[in-house]
Amino acid sequence: MSDSLTEVVERPARNGPTPPPPRARKPWSRHLAFTNIGAVYVLIALVVVFGVWVPDTFLTLDTFRQILNSNAVTALAALSIIIPLSARVFDLSIGGTITLTGVVVTQLIVERGLSVPVAIALALVVGILIGTLNAVIVVVLKIDSFIATMASGALLAAFTTMVTGDVDVTGVELSEGFDEFGQHLVGGFALPVYYALLVAVVLWFVMQQTAFGRRMYATGFNKDAARLAGVPTETLRFVSLMISGGIAGLAGIVLAGTLAAGSVTAGAPYLLGAFAAAFLGATQLHGGKFNAFGTLIAVLLLGTGVVGLGLAEAPTWSHDLFTGVVLIVALVATRYQRSNRKQGAASSAD
Amino acid sequence: MISTTAEDPELSPTAAPADPRAALRVRGLSKTFGTTQVLRDVDLEIRAGEIHAFVGANGSGKSTTIKVLAGYHGADPGAEAELDGTPLDLGARAVKRHDDLRFVHQDLGLVPDMNAVDNMALTHGFRHGRFGRIDWAAQREFTRQALQRFGTSIDIDTPLESLSAVVCTEIAIAAAMHGWEAGQGVLVLDEPTAMLPPAQVGRLFEIVRQVRSSGASVLYVSHRLDEIFELADRVSVIRGGHIVATRDVSTLTTDELADLMVGQEGSSARNVGKSAPGSEVVLRADELTGRTMRGVSFELHRGEVLGIAGLVGSGSEEVPYAVAGHLGSLLGGRIDRMTDGGGRRRRAVPLVPAHRLQEGVFLEASVAENLSISSLGSLSRGPRLSARAEEAMVDGWIDRLGIDAPHGDTLIATLSGGNQQKVVLARCLNQDPEILAMSEPTAGVDIATRSRIYDLVAREAAAGLSVVVTSSDLQDLVAMCTRVLVIRDGRVVQELLGEAVTETDIIRAMEGTTAA
Repeated sequence: MSDSLTEVVERPARNGPTPPPPRARKPWSRHLAFTNIGAVYVLIALVVVFGVWVPDTFLTLDTFRQILNSNAVTALAALSIIIPLSARVFDLSIGGTITLTGVVVTQLIVERGLSVPVAIALALVVGILIGTLNAVIVVVLKIDSFIATMASGALLAAFTTMVTGDVDVTGVELSEGFDEFGQHLVGGFALPVYYALLVAVVLWFVMQQTAFGRRMYATGFNKDAARLAGVPTETLRFVSLMISGGIAGLAGIVLAGTLAAGSVTAGAPYLLGAFAAAFLGATQLHGGKFNAFGTLIAVLLLGTGVVGLGLAEAPTWSHDLFTGVVLIVALVATRYQRSNRKQGAASSAD
Repeated sequence: MISTTAEDPELSPTAAPADPRAALRVRGLSKTFGTTQVLRDVDLEIRAGEIHAFVGANGSGKSTTIKVLAGYHGADPGAEAELDGTPLDLGARAVKRHDDLRFVHQDLGLVPDMNAVDNMALTHGFRHGRFGRIDWAAQREFTRQALQRFGTSIDIDTPLESLSAVVCTEIAIAAAMHGWEAGQGVLVLDEPTAMLPPAQVGRLFEIVRQVRSSGASVLYVSHRLDEIFELADRVSVIRGGHIVATRDVSTLTTDELADLMVGQEGSSARNVGKSAPGSEVVLRADELTGRTMRGVSFELHRGEVLGIAGLVGSGSEEVPYAVAGHLGSLLGGRIDRMTDGGGRRRRAVPLVPAHRLQEGVFLEASVAENLSISSLGSLSRGPRLSARAEEAMVDGWIDRLGIDAPHGDTLIATLSGGNQQKVVLARCLNQDPEILAMSEPTAGVDIATRSRIYDLVAREAAAGLSVVVTSSDLQDLVAMCTRVLVIRDGRVVQELLGEAVTETDIIRAMEGTTAA
């Protein structure tokens, strides 16, 4: 044990002048490995398949734009749940949030005559308040997030019907600037594509580059261990739901912009697509962690399949078939990958 | 489904001089996990109609032996066993070894929110009437008969969670013994008193004696020495994976039994590297209460390694959590920090938690992520984590503690238990704490890492770190501590200092068999 005598008393230099010894780093080839970005390869394969199947319509710039433009709101919805899912918190109320904020923003413009920026800001606040309500139920009242946010989603649906009388919010006022917010094209792509990209960059920075993201993942990996290591797990779980409320609120506002109307049914269909993309995205790039760019890749993959099948005039049930098969295959593959890595980990004490 | 082909000709009873009264006889039982041999030629002989105690310290191989007998592990080739005169194959893992060998595990294996009738049915199946309908009348009669064995009337309709712990144990034992004729069977009781309130232990002993008088044999696993002297006929002591003695209990004293459990090396304190603590008090705990603590008070000095010893449930296991501030609203009493930190960061008391896999590591994350989680603030430059600072910090600890990982990106799940523990320790020490709390610091840790941890703690203490540590492995306390407080029933009952810190003394104080 004498070799450790001098080793252990020193502390690692945090700002010290001595450079760390060079260590074997992760080789670059691993970043391109199928296990890391398998969805990208599947995406390329899809492009080839549809390129051969329907070459005239699929391999065009318009199709590419259509895929992106029609999936921007899905991307925002999926990005909204990245942070809560990282902390192992479910937010199933995002469908209801999307609908309600869409209704709120259009009503504020049409019925209250508010300016577009003010209406958007207020609707965003509504989204964050919904998230806060969820957080109080889940974190303070300690109700399982899955069932709690399902219940609050029902409340949101009820509230939406109450304030609208189940009639979509429409009005000529929505065509005087607000529609541009969701429909204006820049370089052939609608503004929502840029919103989604911007949100993804912010989420990437927050989750992959800051202490906040690390602590959020730690909370999701093992809440007890995180708490004992000094991570404020309950605060983080609370904040995660506020964030999903806010981003889902943004998705609802953007959706209302693209529709130039406040639809009372628009939000619900985005729920499942968002979860599908988030879970598929977690199998990409960061070894099992929910992450922003993996999610964008997943949205792109699922969107390309659906648009391609549409162009190929495949039967409509093939779209759902495609989504289901991709999800199951990706999750099963990840599960095997992880259990292989974990082998030999559990050591049993006598 | 397990074929019991006699591969070994020596399996015939004539090969070894057998005790004719033996109900269960095990010879040459070894068990190896990977490269570690946990059991080495264990010989065990349980006579018909006796209560045979089986004792050993933590890590002695006691649980592994029981797990092999239960079929949870398969033994290494070469083990022989015989039950009521018929060979018993210990080789393969099996759901059930033999119908004459039955177990009542510490958790009893009962479902608390179901009643006795349902619980009996879980082990022995339901009595069916016409159309596959459960015949509840027959089922209740069957339950009543099985429970009559011990001559008490038990409410068979009340969910077990509303019954006392000893009644639940009674039900578990009755369920386990059901179907045995008089004079048949070996019943293994694995630490049956661990979950019992002291007042109910006497009743359990009566039940165990009734089991004996029915002619069945009992293998009674325990680490409470006083119970063994009150209850058992004979005792086998396991140490270091080997049976070191099998004796009639009447020929032994408590001290002799404690010495057998601990061995020669335990009698002398290991003072290597221990430094004399300063007199400055850094922390004062006053009348702490919790789930099991009932008023624990102590002072912690600068540079002191303070051990807290006690049996499971005594309250000792709560002390490090209390000191680290993780007992939350359960904690009563007060903890005062007496210093300004002496230049070290004052606030946090990092904790090495007792259950590494559940409370210590993030299995899905890398070594680096596991190590830096408590120091992220100091690794941030503005809002952004500095990858370079983190890498330097992590690589520094990998070198200094000899963590066996090629780089910080390695998944911690691929590391051995000992190396995972080093990562947890590095996480704590990197916070440059004034006080460190540790619980079970060497659980599931290999021998080499164990001494490395001892040395590390000694150096840090010499440099002024104060440590509070609990461990069910008394060797830890003897090796590291300058002072040990022994806790029994939630209170400090004895203080051992310097040379008096030996395993034998600690065991005596924990058991409450201190010589006056």
